[in-house]
Amino acid sequence: MARVYKDLREFLAALEEEGQLVRVKDEVMPEPDIGAAGRAASRMTDGPAVLFENIKGYKGTVVTNAHGSWANHALMMSMPKDTPTKEQFVELNRRWDKFPVPPNVLSREEALCKQNTITEDINLFEVLPLYRINEQDGGFFLSKASVVSYDPDVPDDFDKLNVGTYRIQVKDKDRVGIQALPMHDIAIQLAKAERKNEPLPIAITLGNNPLVTFMASTPVGYAQNEYEFVGALQDGVPTDIVAADTDPNLLVPAHCEVVLEGYIIPRARVVEGPFGEFPGSYSGARLQCEVQITRITHRDNPIFENLYLGMPWTEIDYLMALNTSVPLYKQLKTDFPEVQAVNAMYTHGIGTIVSIKPRYGGHAKGAAMRLLSTPHGMPYTKILIMVDDFVDPFNLEQVMWALTTRVLPSKDVTMIENAAGMPLDPSSYPAGMTTKLIIDATTPVAPEPNPRPVELLKDPVDTEKWNGIIRDMLKQMEA
Amino acid sequence: MECPRCGSAARVMVKSPVGDVWEVYVCETCWYSWRSTETPVIIDKFKLDPAKIGELGVIPAVPPLD
Ligand SMILES: [Zn+2]
Repeated sequence: MARVYKDLREFLAALEEEGQLVRVKDEVMPEPDIGAAGRAASRMTDGPAVLFENIKGYKGTVVTNAHGSWANHALMMSMPKDTPTKEQFVELNRRWDKFPVPPNVLSREEALCKQNTITEDINLFEVLPLYRINEQDGGFFLSKASVVSYDPDVPDDFDKLNVGTYRIQVKDKDRVGIQALPMHDIAIQLAKAERKNEPLPIAITLGNNPLVTFMASTPVGYAQNEYEFVGALQDGVPTDIVAADTDPNLLVPAHCEVVLEGYIIPRARVVEGPFGEFPGSYSGARLQCEVQITRITHRDNPIFENLYLGMPWTEIDYLMALNTSVPLYKQLKTDFPEVQAVNAMYTHGIGTIVSIKPRYGGHAKGAAMRLLSTPHGMPYTKILIMVDDFVDPFNLEQVMWALTTRVLPSKDVTMIENAAGMPLDPSSYPAGMTTKLIIDATTPVAPEPNPRPVELLKDPVDTEKWNGIIRDMLKQMEA
Repeated sequence: MECPRCGSAARVMVKSPVGDVWEVYVCETCWYSWRSTETPVIIDKFKLDPAKIGELGVIPAVPPLD
Protein backbone atom coordinates (compact mmCIF):
# COMPACT_ATOMS: atom_id res chain seq x y z
CA MET A 1 0.00 0.00 0.00
CA ALA A 2 1.36 3.35 -1.05
CA ARG A 3 2.02 6.07 1.53
CA VAL A 4 -0.73 8.65 1.31
CA TYR A 5 -0.34 12.36 2.03
CA LYS A 6 -3.37 13.86 3.72
CA ASP A 7 -2.41 17.34 2.57
CA LEU A 8 0.33 19.50 1.09
CA ARG A 9 2.11 19.76 4.46
CA GLU A 10 2.63 16.02 4.75
CA PHE A 11 4.03 15.98 1.20
CA LEU A 12 6.41 18.85 1.99
CA ALA A 13 7.57 16.99 5.10
CA ALA A 14 8.31 13.92 2.97
CA LEU A 15 10.22 16.04 0.46
CA GLU A 16 12.28 17.53 3.28
CA GLU A 17 13.07 14.09 4.75
CA GLU A 18 14.34 13.02 1.33
CA GLY A 19 16.47 16.12 0.81
CA GLN A 20 14.06 17.48 -1.81
CA LEU A 21 13.02 20.73 -0.10
CA VAL A 22 15.07 23.76 0.87
CA ARG A 23 13.94 26.50 3.27
CA VAL A 24 14.90 30.10 2.53
CA LYS A 25 14.90 31.85 5.92
CA ASP A 26 16.46 35.15 4.85
CA GLU A 27 14.10 37.93 3.78
CA VAL A 28 13.43 37.96 0.03
CA MET A 29 11.63 40.37 -2.28
CA PRO A 30 8.41 39.10 -3.89
CA GLU A 31 9.94 40.14 -7.23
CA PRO A 32 12.12 38.86 -8.68
CA ASP A 33 13.21 36.35 -6.04
CA ILE A 34 10.33 33.87 -5.93
CA GLY A 35 9.93 33.52 -9.69
CA ALA A 36 13.68 33.34 -10.18
CA ALA A 37 14.07 30.58 -7.58
CA GLY A 38 11.26 28.58 -9.23
CA ARG A 39 13.04 28.96 -12.56
CA ALA A 40 16.37 27.89 -11.13
CA ALA A 41 15.09 24.91 -9.12
CA SER A 42 13.07 23.46 -12.01
CA ARG A 43 16.11 23.58 -14.28
CA MET A 44 18.20 21.40 -11.93
CA THR A 45 18.30 17.65 -12.25
CA ASP A 46 16.24 16.41 -9.28
CA GLY A 47 15.65 20.03 -8.24
CA PRO A 48 14.03 20.61 -4.82
CA ALA A 49 10.92 22.42 -3.69
CA VAL A 50 11.79 25.89 -2.36
CA LEU A 51 9.98 27.23 0.72
CA PHE A 52 10.25 30.96 1.43
CA GLU A 53 9.69 31.77 5.08
CA ASN A 54 10.25 35.53 5.06
CA ILE A 55 8.89 37.67 2.22
CA LYS A 56 9.14 41.43 2.49
CA GLY A 57 5.82 43.01 3.44
CA TYR A 58 3.95 39.73 3.84
CA LYS A 59 2.92 37.51 6.72
CA GLY A 60 2.83 34.12 5.05
CA THR A 61 5.12 31.64 3.35
CA VAL A 62 5.38 30.51 -0.28
CA VAL A 63 6.40 27.14 -1.67
CA THR A 64 7.35 26.69 -5.29
CA ASN A 65 8.64 23.76 -7.37
CA ALA A 66 6.93 21.16 -5.14
CA HIS A 67 6.26 18.99 -8.25
CA GLY A 68 9.28 20.26 -10.16
CA SER A 69 11.56 17.25 -10.67
CA TRP A 70 11.32 13.52 -11.37
CA ALA A 71 12.46 12.90 -7.80
CA ASN A 72 9.61 15.00 -6.39
CA HIS A 73 7.18 13.41 -8.85
CA ALA A 74 8.19 9.94 -7.67
CA LEU A 75 7.81 11.01 -4.02
CA MET A 76 4.34 12.37 -4.84
CA MET A 77 3.46 8.78 -5.67
CA SER A 78 5.43 7.58 -2.62
CA MET A 79 7.92 5.76 -4.83
CA PRO A 80 11.72 5.87 -4.30
CA LYS A 81 12.99 9.21 -5.54
CA ASP A 82 15.30 7.64 -8.15
CA THR A 83 12.44 5.74 -9.89
CA PRO A 84 12.87 6.04 -13.69
CA THR A 85 10.15 7.92 -15.59
CA LYS A 86 8.93 4.83 -17.44
CA GLU A 87 8.43 2.99 -14.12
CA GLN A 88 6.46 5.95 -12.75
CA PHE A 89 4.31 5.77 -15.90
CA VAL A 90 3.68 2.03 -15.39
CA GLU A 91 2.77 2.50 -11.72
CA LEU A 92 0.41 5.37 -12.52
CA ASN A 93 -1.34 3.16 -15.06
CA ARG A 94 -1.77 0.42 -12.49
CA ARG A 95 -3.32 2.78 -9.95
CA TRP A 96 -5.43 4.53 -12.61
CA ASP A 97 -7.45 1.35 -13.07
CA LYS A 98 -8.69 1.58 -9.47
CA PHE A 99 -10.94 4.49 -10.55
CA PRO A 100 -13.47 5.29 -9.19
CA VAL A 101 -12.61 5.54 -5.47
CA PRO A 102 -15.32 7.75 -3.93
CA PRO A 103 -13.94 10.42 -1.55
CA ASN A 104 -14.85 10.89 2.12
CA VAL A 105 -17.07 13.91 2.62
CA LEU A 106 -16.07 15.46 5.95
CA SER A 107 -18.07 17.75 8.22
CA ARG A 108 -17.02 21.38 8.42
CA GLU A 109 -15.48 20.78 11.88
CA GLU A 110 -13.23 18.00 10.54
CA ALA A 111 -11.87 20.02 7.61
CA LEU A 112 -8.63 21.90 8.30
CA CYS A 113 -9.29 24.35 5.46
CA LYS A 114 -12.05 25.84 7.67
CA GLN A 115 -9.78 26.89 10.54
CA ASN A 116 -10.26 30.57 9.63
CA THR A 117 -13.07 32.34 7.79
CA ILE A 118 -13.06 35.80 6.18
CA THR A 119 -16.29 37.32 4.90
CA GLU A 120 -15.70 41.05 5.24
CA ASP A 121 -13.00 43.36 3.90
CA ILE A 122 -11.64 40.53 1.80
CA ASN A 123 -8.00 41.16 0.91
CA LEU A 124 -6.16 38.40 -0.92
CA PHE A 125 -2.83 40.00 -0.01
CA GLU A 126 -3.50 39.38 3.70
CA VAL A 127 -3.72 35.63 3.05
CA LEU A 128 -1.44 35.05 0.05
CA PRO A 129 2.06 36.48 -0.57
CA LEU A 130 1.23 37.32 -4.19
CA TYR A 131 4.03 38.02 -6.66
CA ARG A 132 4.73 38.51 -10.37
CA ILE A 133 6.03 35.28 -11.93
CA ASN A 134 7.51 36.61 -15.19
CA GLU A 135 8.50 40.18 -15.99
CA GLN A 136 5.90 40.95 -18.69
CA ASP A 137 2.98 39.30 -16.87
CA GLY A 138 0.09 41.78 -16.57
CA GLY A 139 -0.15 41.25 -12.80
CA PHE A 140 0.21 38.69 -10.04
CA PHE A 141 -1.01 35.24 -11.02
CA LEU A 142 -2.13 32.08 -9.24
CA SER A 143 -0.53 29.42 -11.43
CA LYS A 144 -1.26 26.30 -9.39
CA ALA A 145 -4.83 26.67 -8.14
CA SER A 146 -7.46 23.97 -8.53
CA VAL A 147 -10.79 25.45 -9.54
CA VAL A 148 -13.99 23.64 -8.55
CA SER A 149 -17.23 24.21 -10.45
CA TYR A 150 -20.33 22.24 -11.39
CA ASP A 151 -22.75 21.87 -14.27
CA PRO A 152 -25.57 24.37 -13.56
CA ASP A 153 -28.08 22.03 -15.23
CA VAL A 154 -27.28 19.33 -12.65
CA PRO A 155 -25.64 21.10 -9.68
CA ASP A 156 -25.60 17.98 -7.49
CA ASP A 157 -24.25 15.59 -10.16
CA PHE A 158 -20.97 14.65 -8.50
CA ASP A 159 -19.62 13.03 -11.69
CA LYS A 160 -19.85 16.37 -13.47
CA LEU A 161 -18.23 18.34 -10.67
CA ASN A 162 -15.11 19.73 -12.32
CA VAL A 163 -11.75 20.27 -10.67
CA GLY A 164 -9.42 21.98 -13.12
CA THR A 165 -6.36 24.18 -13.30
CA TYR A 166 -6.88 27.55 -14.95
CA ARG A 167 -4.64 30.57 -14.80
CA ILE A 168 -5.89 33.27 -12.45
CA GLN A 169 -4.85 36.93 -12.41
CA VAL A 170 -5.35 39.07 -9.31
CA LYS A 171 -7.34 42.14 -10.41
CA ASP A 172 -8.18 43.60 -7.04
CA LYS A 173 -8.17 42.71 -3.34
CA ASP A 174 -11.30 40.60 -3.83
CA ARG A 175 -11.54 40.02 -7.58
CA VAL A 176 -9.57 37.81 -9.98
CA GLY A 177 -9.56 37.10 -13.70
CA ILE A 178 -9.82 33.50 -14.90
CA GLN A 179 -9.01 31.91 -18.24
CA ALA A 180 -11.71 29.53 -19.44
CA LEU A 181 -10.62 28.31 -22.89
CA PRO A 182 -13.53 26.97 -25.01
CA MET A 183 -11.98 23.47 -25.01
CA HIS A 184 -11.96 23.25 -21.20
CA ASP A 185 -14.71 21.73 -19.06
CA ILE A 186 -15.39 24.93 -17.13
CA ALA A 187 -16.26 26.74 -20.38
CA ILE A 188 -19.15 24.30 -20.97
CA GLN A 189 -20.51 25.06 -17.49
CA LEU A 190 -19.97 28.77 -17.86
CA ALA A 191 -21.84 28.90 -21.17
CA LYS A 192 -24.86 27.24 -19.58
CA ALA A 193 -24.89 29.84 -16.76
CA GLU A 194 -24.31 32.76 -19.09
CA ARG A 195 -27.17 31.75 -21.39
CA LYS A 196 -29.40 32.39 -18.37
CA ASN A 197 -27.41 35.46 -17.28
CA GLU A 198 -26.61 33.72 -14.00
CA PRO A 199 -23.33 33.71 -12.03
CA LEU A 200 -21.40 30.42 -12.02
CA PRO A 201 -20.42 29.57 -8.43
CA ILE A 202 -16.78 28.49 -8.10
CA ALA A 203 -14.22 27.68 -5.45
CA ILE A 204 -10.52 28.28 -6.03
CA THR A 205 -8.45 25.98 -3.84
CA LEU A 206 -4.76 26.52 -3.14
CA GLY A 207 -2.12 24.37 -1.50
CA ASN A 208 -3.81 21.06 -2.18
CA ASN A 209 -2.83 17.46 -1.57
CA PRO A 210 -0.25 16.96 -4.37
CA LEU A 211 -2.38 14.37 -6.16
CA VAL A 212 -5.37 16.74 -6.21
CA THR A 213 -3.18 19.29 -8.00
CA PHE A 214 -1.95 16.50 -10.27
CA MET A 215 -5.50 15.38 -11.16
CA ALA A 216 -6.76 18.95 -11.60
CA SER A 217 -4.30 19.32 -14.48
CA THR A 218 -5.13 15.91 -15.97
CA PRO A 219 -7.38 15.78 -19.04
CA VAL A 220 -10.18 13.39 -18.00
CA GLY A 221 -13.71 13.00 -19.36
CA TYR A 222 -16.40 15.59 -18.59
CA ALA A 223 -18.34 13.04 -16.51
CA GLN A 224 -15.30 11.64 -14.68
CA ASN A 225 -14.79 13.04 -11.20
CA GLU A 226 -11.24 14.11 -10.34
CA TYR A 227 -11.56 13.26 -6.62
CA GLU A 228 -12.44 9.67 -7.51
CA PHE A 229 -9.20 9.58 -9.50
CA VAL A 230 -7.23 10.96 -6.54
CA GLY A 231 -8.44 7.98 -4.50
CA ALA A 232 -7.34 5.67 -7.31
CA LEU A 233 -3.88 7.25 -7.49
CA GLN A 234 -3.65 6.94 -3.70
CA ASP A 235 -3.83 3.21 -4.44
CA GLY A 236 -7.44 2.94 -3.32
CA VAL A 237 -7.35 5.28 -0.29
CA PRO A 238 -10.19 7.85 -0.54
CA THR A 239 -9.31 11.53 -0.41
CA ASP A 240 -11.08 13.92 2.00
CA ILE A 241 -13.37 16.65 0.71
CA VAL A 242 -15.79 19.11 2.28
CA ALA A 243 -18.59 21.39 1.05
CA ALA A 244 -17.78 25.03 0.41
CA ASP A 245 -19.57 27.36 2.79
CA THR A 246 -21.33 29.34 0.07
CA ASP A 247 -22.60 26.38 -1.98
CA PRO A 248 -23.10 22.78 -0.76
CA ASN A 249 -22.46 21.41 -4.26
CA LEU A 250 -18.97 22.88 -4.47
CA LEU A 251 -16.83 20.20 -2.87
CA VAL A 252 -13.27 21.23 -2.07
CA PRO A 253 -10.18 19.40 -0.74
CA ALA A 254 -10.79 19.28 3.02
CA HIS A 255 -7.24 20.02 4.13
CA CYS A 256 -6.07 22.46 1.48
CA GLU A 257 -4.39 25.67 2.60
CA VAL A 258 -6.79 28.28 1.23
CA VAL A 259 -10.24 28.29 -0.41
CA LEU A 260 -11.45 31.36 -2.29
CA GLU A 261 -15.21 31.12 -2.77
CA GLY A 262 -17.20 33.24 -5.18
CA TYR A 263 -18.73 33.31 -8.61
CA ILE A 264 -17.87 34.10 -12.23
CA ILE A 265 -19.55 37.38 -13.11
CA PRO A 266 -21.89 36.51 -16.00
CA ARG A 267 -21.47 37.98 -19.49
CA ALA A 268 -18.60 40.29 -18.52
CA ARG A 269 -15.12 40.18 -20.09
CA VAL A 270 -12.24 42.31 -18.85
CA VAL A 271 -8.58 42.68 -19.89
CA GLU A 272 -6.46 39.76 -18.69
CA GLY A 273 -2.80 39.01 -19.37
CA PRO A 274 -0.24 38.89 -20.77
CA PHE A 275 0.98 35.77 -19.03
CA GLY A 276 4.13 33.74 -19.61
CA GLU A 277 2.74 30.38 -20.65
CA PHE A 278 3.87 26.77 -20.79
CA PRO A 279 4.93 26.82 -24.48
CA GLY A 280 7.72 29.20 -23.41
CA SER A 281 6.15 32.41 -24.76
CA TYR A 282 3.75 35.03 -23.48
CA SER A 283 0.11 34.82 -24.38
CA GLY A 284 -1.03 38.39 -24.88
CA ALA A 285 -3.85 40.39 -23.32
CA ARG A 286 -7.42 39.24 -24.04
CA LEU A 287 -10.85 40.05 -22.65
CA GLN A 288 -11.62 37.27 -20.19
CA CYS A 289 -13.91 36.34 -17.30
CA GLU A 290 -13.68 37.65 -13.75
CA VAL A 291 -14.49 36.08 -10.41
CA GLN A 292 -15.90 38.00 -7.45
CA ILE A 293 -14.52 36.52 -4.22
CA THR A 294 -17.14 36.57 -1.46
CA ARG A 295 -15.57 34.36 1.19
CA ILE A 296 -12.16 32.97 2.11
CA THR A 297 -11.47 30.05 4.39
CA HIS A 298 -7.91 29.06 5.25
CA ARG A 299 -5.74 27.01 7.56
CA ASP A 300 -3.70 28.55 10.33
CA ASN A 301 -0.52 30.05 8.86
CA PRO A 302 -1.44 29.12 5.29
CA ILE A 303 1.28 28.20 2.80
CA PHE A 304 0.85 29.74 -0.66
CA GLU A 305 1.79 27.12 -3.25
CA ASN A 306 2.50 28.47 -6.73
CA LEU A 307 4.59 27.34 -9.68
CA TYR A 308 7.02 28.87 -12.12
CA LEU A 309 6.27 28.34 -15.80
CA GLY A 310 8.30 29.60 -18.70
CA MET A 311 10.72 28.18 -21.23
CA PRO A 312 10.39 24.36 -20.85
CA TRP A 313 11.26 22.50 -18.76
CA THR A 314 9.70 24.06 -15.68
CA GLU A 315 7.57 22.75 -12.83
CA ILE A 316 4.46 22.75 -15.00
CA ASP A 317 6.15 20.38 -17.47
CA TYR A 318 6.72 17.86 -14.66
CA LEU A 319 3.19 18.35 -13.41
CA MET A 320 1.63 17.82 -16.85
CA ALA A 321 3.96 15.09 -18.08
CA LEU A 322 2.61 11.71 -17.03
CA ASN A 323 -0.90 12.93 -16.31
CA THR A 324 -1.14 13.83 -20.00
CA SER A 325 0.50 10.56 -21.07
CA VAL A 326 -1.66 8.15 -19.06
CA PRO A 327 -5.13 9.20 -20.30
CA LEU A 328 -3.91 9.12 -23.91
CA TYR A 329 -2.43 5.67 -23.31
CA LYS A 330 -5.67 4.39 -21.77
CA GLN A 331 -7.77 5.76 -24.61
CA LEU A 332 -5.47 4.30 -27.25
CA LYS A 333 -5.06 0.95 -25.51
CA THR A 334 -8.83 0.29 -25.71
CA ASP A 335 -8.73 -0.19 -29.48
CA PHE A 336 -5.01 -0.83 -29.94
CA PRO A 337 -3.82 -3.32 -27.30
CA GLU A 338 -0.51 -3.43 -29.19
CA VAL A 339 0.37 0.00 -27.79
CA GLN A 340 3.08 -0.32 -25.11
CA ALA A 341 3.49 3.21 -23.76
CA VAL A 342 2.70 6.86 -24.55
CA ASN A 343 5.07 9.72 -23.80
CA ALA A 344 3.06 12.95 -24.17
CA MET A 345 5.43 15.03 -22.03
CA TYR A 346 6.44 17.66 -24.52
CA THR A 347 4.57 20.95 -24.09
CA HIS A 348 1.43 19.25 -22.74
CA GLY A 349 1.37 16.63 -25.49
CA ILE A 350 1.98 18.90 -28.49
CA GLY A 351 4.88 16.50 -29.02
CA THR A 352 4.03 12.85 -28.35
CA ILE A 353 5.83 9.53 -28.79
CA VAL A 354 3.99 6.20 -28.88
CA SER A 355 5.55 2.72 -28.77
CA ILE A 356 3.57 -0.03 -30.47
CA LYS A 357 4.03 -3.56 -31.82
CA PRO A 358 2.33 -3.18 -35.22
CA ARG A 359 0.51 -6.27 -36.49
CA TYR A 360 0.28 -5.32 -40.18
CA GLY A 361 1.35 -2.59 -42.58
CA GLY A 362 -0.20 0.78 -41.74
CA HIS A 363 -1.19 -0.32 -38.24
CA ALA A 364 1.06 2.21 -36.49
CA LYS A 365 -0.25 5.02 -38.69
CA GLY A 366 -3.82 3.97 -37.88
CA ALA A 367 -3.05 4.14 -34.15
CA ALA A 368 -1.51 7.57 -34.71
CA MET A 369 -4.72 8.81 -36.31
CA ARG A 370 -6.69 7.41 -33.37
CA LEU A 371 -4.49 9.38 -30.95
CA LEU A 372 -5.02 12.52 -33.02
CA SER A 373 -8.78 12.15 -32.59
CA THR A 374 -8.84 11.63 -28.80
CA PRO A 375 -10.29 14.52 -26.77
CA HIS A 376 -6.83 15.75 -25.74
CA GLY A 377 -4.85 14.62 -28.77
CA MET A 378 -7.11 16.40 -31.24
CA PRO A 379 -6.39 19.96 -30.13
CA TYR A 380 -2.96 19.41 -28.59
CA THR A 381 -0.89 16.78 -30.37
CA LYS A 382 0.85 18.18 -33.44
CA ILE A 383 4.02 16.12 -33.80
CA LEU A 384 3.51 12.42 -33.27
CA ILE A 385 6.30 9.85 -33.46
CA MET A 386 5.45 6.14 -33.59
CA VAL A 387 8.24 3.77 -32.46
CA ASP A 388 8.53 0.00 -32.10
CA ASP A 389 7.49 -1.78 -28.92
CA PHE A 390 11.12 -2.40 -27.91
CA VAL A 391 11.92 1.33 -27.96
CA ASP A 392 11.34 3.16 -24.64
CA PRO A 393 9.45 6.32 -25.66
CA PHE A 394 10.67 8.03 -22.47
CA ASN A 395 14.29 7.50 -23.56
CA LEU A 396 15.01 10.17 -26.17
CA GLU A 397 18.31 8.54 -27.21
CA GLN A 398 16.36 5.46 -28.18
CA VAL A 399 13.71 7.55 -29.94
CA MET A 400 16.42 9.34 -31.94
CA TRP A 401 17.85 5.92 -32.88
CA ALA A 402 14.42 4.93 -34.23
CA LEU A 403 14.12 8.19 -36.19
CA THR A 404 17.60 7.87 -37.69
CA THR A 405 17.43 4.20 -38.68
CA ARG A 406 13.73 3.33 -39.18
CA VAL A 407 12.40 6.31 -41.12
CA LEU A 408 12.36 6.69 -44.91
CA PRO A 409 10.89 10.19 -45.02
CA SER A 410 9.30 9.87 -48.48
CA LYS A 411 6.89 7.21 -47.18
CA ASP A 412 7.01 7.42 -43.38
CA VAL A 413 6.23 11.11 -42.88
CA THR A 414 2.59 12.17 -43.20
CA MET A 415 1.12 15.66 -42.85
CA ILE A 416 -2.56 16.37 -42.28
CA GLU A 417 -3.36 19.97 -43.07
CA ASN A 418 -5.96 22.35 -41.66
CA ALA A 419 -6.43 20.40 -38.43
CA ALA A 420 -7.32 21.45 -34.88
CA GLY A 421 -4.42 22.90 -32.90
CA MET A 422 -3.63 24.49 -29.56
CA PRO A 423 -4.11 28.29 -29.65
CA LEU A 424 -1.22 28.84 -27.21
CA ASP A 425 1.11 27.13 -29.72
CA PRO A 426 2.41 30.24 -31.50
CA SER A 427 3.02 28.27 -34.69
CA SER A 428 -0.70 27.51 -35.03
CA TYR A 429 -2.25 29.83 -37.60
CA PRO A 430 -4.83 31.13 -37.35
CA ALA A 431 -4.53 30.46 -33.60
CA GLY A 432 -6.04 27.03 -33.07
CA MET A 433 -5.43 25.67 -36.59
CA THR A 434 -2.39 23.57 -37.39
CA THR A 435 -0.91 20.80 -39.51
CA LYS A 436 -0.48 17.39 -37.90
CA LEU A 437 2.80 15.55 -38.46
CA ILE A 438 3.02 11.77 -38.09
CA ILE A 439 6.42 10.12 -38.28
CA ASP A 440 6.14 6.34 -38.47
CA ALA A 441 9.46 5.13 -37.06
CA THR A 442 8.34 1.53 -36.64
CA THR A 443 9.91 -1.33 -38.60
CA PRO A 444 7.77 -2.17 -41.67
CA VAL A 445 5.40 -5.13 -41.23
CA ALA A 446 3.73 -7.03 -44.16
CA PRO A 447 2.04 -6.24 -46.42
CA GLU A 448 4.21 -3.11 -46.30
CA PRO A 449 7.48 -4.16 -47.98
CA ASN A 450 10.65 -4.24 -45.92
CA PRO A 451 13.22 -4.64 -48.69
CA ARG A 452 16.27 -4.43 -46.42
CA PRO A 453 15.50 -6.39 -43.26
CA VAL A 454 18.28 -6.31 -40.68
CA GLU A 455 19.36 -8.28 -37.68
CA LEU A 456 19.31 -5.98 -34.63
CA LEU A 457 22.21 -6.07 -32.22
CA LYS A 458 21.59 -7.57 -28.83
CA ASP A 459 23.46 -6.83 -25.60
CA PRO A 460 26.36 -9.25 -25.11
CA VAL A 461 25.69 -12.12 -22.69
CA ASP A 462 26.48 -11.03 -19.10
CA THR A 463 25.92 -7.32 -19.78
CA GLU A 464 23.59 -7.23 -16.79
CA LYS A 465 26.16 -9.01 -14.61
CA TRP A 466 28.81 -6.44 -15.60
CA ASN A 467 26.37 -3.63 -14.96
CA GLY A 468 26.24 -4.81 -11.34
CA ILE A 469 30.00 -5.29 -11.05
CA ILE A 470 30.83 -1.81 -12.38
CA ARG A 471 28.21 -0.16 -10.16
CA ASP A 472 29.62 -1.90 -7.10
CA MET A 473 33.15 -0.80 -8.00
CA LEU A 474 31.96 2.81 -8.37
CA LYS A 475 30.23 2.65 -4.98
CA GLN A 476 33.43 1.34 -3.35
CA MET A 477 35.40 4.22 -4.89
CA GLU A 478 32.87 6.70 -3.44
CA ALA A 479 33.07 5.13 0.03
CA MET B 1 0.00 57.52 -10.55
CA GLU B 2 0.22 56.75 -14.27
CA CYS B 3 -0.27 53.25 -15.66
CA PRO B 4 2.96 52.11 -17.37
CA ARG B 5 0.97 50.12 -19.91
CA CYS B 6 -1.79 52.46 -21.10
CA GLY B 7 -0.98 55.82 -19.49
CA SER B 8 -4.33 56.10 -17.68
CA ALA B 9 -4.64 57.07 -14.03
CA ALA B 10 -3.97 54.22 -11.60
CA ARG B 11 -4.97 53.88 -7.96
CA VAL B 12 -3.57 52.12 -4.91
CA MET B 13 -4.96 48.59 -4.75
CA VAL B 14 -3.37 47.58 -1.46
CA LYS B 15 -0.58 48.39 1.00
CA SER B 16 1.83 45.77 2.33
CA PRO B 17 0.15 43.73 5.08
CA VAL B 18 3.33 43.95 7.20
CA GLY B 19 5.10 47.25 7.73
CA ASP B 20 4.70 50.10 5.31
CA VAL B 21 7.19 48.72 2.82
CA TRP B 22 5.33 48.71 -0.50
CA GLU B 23 2.05 49.45 -2.24
CA VAL B 24 0.42 47.72 -5.19
CA TYR B 25 -1.13 49.91 -7.88
CA VAL B 26 -3.79 48.97 -10.39
CA CYS B 27 -5.04 50.66 -13.54
CA GLU B 28 -8.81 50.63 -13.92
CA THR B 29 -8.58 51.02 -17.69
CA CYS B 30 -6.33 48.06 -18.58
CA TRP B 31 -6.09 46.32 -15.17
CA TYR B 32 -2.31 46.22 -15.18
CA SER B 33 -0.97 46.01 -11.64
CA TRP B 34 2.48 46.48 -10.16
CA ARG B 35 4.29 46.89 -6.87
CA SER B 36 6.01 50.10 -5.87
CA THR B 37 9.28 48.17 -5.51
CA GLU B 38 9.17 47.25 -9.22
CA THR B 39 10.15 49.44 -12.16
CA PRO B 40 7.86 48.11 -14.87
CA VAL B 41 9.03 48.42 -18.47
CA ILE B 42 6.22 47.30 -20.75
CA ILE B 43 7.49 46.20 -24.15
CA ASP B 44 5.77 47.92 -27.09
CA LYS B 45 4.01 44.74 -28.15
CA PHE B 46 2.11 44.68 -24.84
CA LYS B 47 1.26 48.41 -24.60
CA LEU B 48 -2.47 49.11 -24.62
CA ASP B 49 -4.86 52.01 -25.14
CA PRO B 50 -8.67 52.15 -25.10
CA ALA B 51 -8.87 51.54 -28.87
CA LYS B 52 -6.66 48.46 -28.64
CA ILE B 53 -8.61 47.18 -25.65
CA GLY B 54 -11.80 47.34 -27.71
CA GLU B 55 -10.20 45.13 -30.34
CA LEU B 56 -8.86 42.43 -28.02
CA GLY B 57 -10.04 38.88 -28.51
CA VAL B 58 -12.82 37.63 -26.21
CA ILE B 59 -12.26 34.32 -24.38
CA PRO B 60 -14.63 32.55 -24.28
CA ALA B 61 -17.22 34.20 -26.52
CA VAL B 62 -20.34 35.40 -24.67
CA PRO B 63 -23.19 33.07 -25.70
CA PRO B 64 -26.64 34.36 -26.74
CA LEU B 65 -29.24 34.61 -23.97
CA ASP B 66 -31.79 31.76 -23.84
ZN1 LIG C 1 -3.52 50.81 -17.82
